[in-house]
Amino acid sequence: MRLAPVDYLILSLYFAFVLCIGWIVKRKVTTSSDFLTSGRSVPVWITSLAFIAANLGAQEVIGMCASGAKYGIMTAHFYWIGAVPAMLFVGVFMMPFYYGSRARSVPEYLKLRFDEKTRVLNAVTFAVMTVFSSGISMYALGLLFQLVLHWSFTASVLLSAAIVLVYTFLGGLTSAIYNEVLQFFLIVLGFAPLAIFVVMKTGGWSGMASRLPAVMTHTWAYTAKASENPMGVEVFGLVAGLGFVLSFGYWCTDFLVVQRAMAAESMSAARRTPLIAAFPKMLMPFIVIVPGVAALALSHMALGYSIPLKADGGPDYDQTLTTLMAQFYPSGMLGLGLTALMASFMSGMAGNVTAFNTVWTYDLYQGHIRKHAPDSHYLWVGRVTTIVGVALSVATAYMASHFNNIMDFLQLVFGFVNAPLFATFLLGMFWKRATGHGAFAGLLAGTAAAAATHGLTLAENKGGWLGATLHTFPSSMAQNFWIAIFAWSTCFLVTVVVSLMSAPKAESALHNLVYGLTDIPHEDVPWYKRPAPVALIVVAALAVLNVVFW
Amino acid sequence: MSDLRVSIGGFFVLVGAIVSATGLIADYRAPLDFANVDLYCGVSMLIFGAVMLWLAWRKAR
Repeated sequence: MRLAPVDYLILSLYFAFVLCIGWIVKRKVTTSSDFLTSGRSVPVWITSLAFIAANLGAQEVIGMCASGAKYGIMTAHFYWIGAVPAMLFVGVFMMPFYYGSRARSVPEYLKLRFDEKTRVLNAVTFAVMTVFSSGISMYALGLLFQLVLHWSFTASVLLSAAIVLVYTFLGGLTSAIYNEVLQFFLIVLGFAPLAIFVVMKTGGWSGMASRLPAVMTHTWAYTAKASENPMGVEVFGLVAGLGFVLSFGYWCTDFLVVQRAMAAESMSAARRTPLIAAFPKMLMPFIVIVPGVAALALSHMALGYSIPLKADGGPDYDQTLTTLMAQFYPSGMLGLGLTALMASFMSGMAGNVTAFNTVWTYDLYQGHIRKHAPDSHYLWVGRVTTIVGVALSVATAYMASHFNNIMDFLQLVFGFVNAPLFATFLLGMFWKRATGHGAFAGLLAGTAAAAATHGLTLAENKGGWLGATLHTFPSSMAQNFWIAIFAWSTCFLVTVVVSLMSAPKAESALHNLVYGLTDIPHEDVPWYKRPAPVALIVVAALAVLNVVFW
Repeated sequence: MSDLRVSIGGFFVLVGAIVSATGLIADYRAPLDFANVDLYCGVSMLIFGAVMLWLAWRKAR
């Protein structure tokens, strides 16, 4: 891929623009709360778009296009069953407790609801994970630009890190959120035309479908048996593993996304954030997955396009998106497409760094190192943490380029830690008898159950390190879904049993933290601003999409 | 917050103008193109940016 001066011009305009946003926002940042939680004053359309953009990193965009080519339109399950129901749940049922408790972070909610040890467990694993994901995101950025444009790995990593550092250092969370909104529009305007052009080239939707096996253009029709579809999953694993455990675990408890809703200007805005975000979320598969599906059809036509190959001869699906761009975008739009990718890498990094900041400053530093300092001190700590967070991410990116195995191992461990989380929150928010000892024991047991499931089963030669193999899964995706199901169930059971054996927390200490002891303020707003009607409209739209692409 | 609408609108008007001008003047073609991609996409971005600016202007009035 060769760039013309106009492409570099667009990329530089974007860099100049994000730095300007940081500089403009800086004037509004005077307290630690402005810097770390946006002072709870962001309008709902902005928090909603940031809510999905925070998850729409470049690896996601490239990976979804790759999965489109590999698994077909079934990949949309990751958006439809695997995100929207959880987004509705967090908005309608959980946000009253997150927002109403006045907690500044998800770990802080755990402290208010349970106890200090549960908070520290969550805060430490979350902090390590954010630095890790931000490093992985930079590593992927360096690799991609090296492969496609022959830029130096160090130059792209350091340049993007420097820009992220400047704008998050200046404007904190607000600046990160504003740039996520811009990134969202860049992705939509940069990749929707690609989807349209590729599908048109294959002869429209029906032309595309006629060139592919039927399983590639259906979402549910081939899920009765795992052997019938390329994902190797069956309907129960899909709905319970992906649709319930993994998706609720991510969208309802991951501070990176929940933080966007908590920055909203009112309770009603916080609750509507994930609900409004569900509409664009439902439509994203048409922008990020469909080009991959169409690329496969395109490779069956005699046009000279084929899915690139890896060194070992297998298809390299991860290159689908960039090769499509090279085939369909002339200089100009090519620059915009690359800018959109660059923007999603950078905002992925910025999102992680700002979440890391908040958890470090409020949950670990203020909670354990210096408790009663003036606010200006915490603002200073937040700013210094930004520099540390970016530096750690750069270090992680270099570690990833030298020790790939360590990275795979860490990713696996984080998966084990995350899998049981949703059981803890579900019990914490809806069962007032759940106790701190119960939650802590449940989380540890759930993580152990996840590790044990992985150690005792095999899929694509992964797992089975405990010696015995009790079951072999048709795909590692199915294995992941089942690990999540076992981890969740174990955490749920252990939390219930240990809670019943330990002393209950006084009801007076649970006000605004648990269902039944929380007053949800009645806001006098028209029906289309109330959570329940908006959620029903989302459900109806989701049902229509699933039926049309059944 | 009309601020952000102004910034985003301004950004896309500028980029849209640059991309459509590229389409008009250079008319670059990628291997599988069947139309002037830069012109169509540039004009779409120009319209999107203008709508954002109009929304911000309407709110500020």
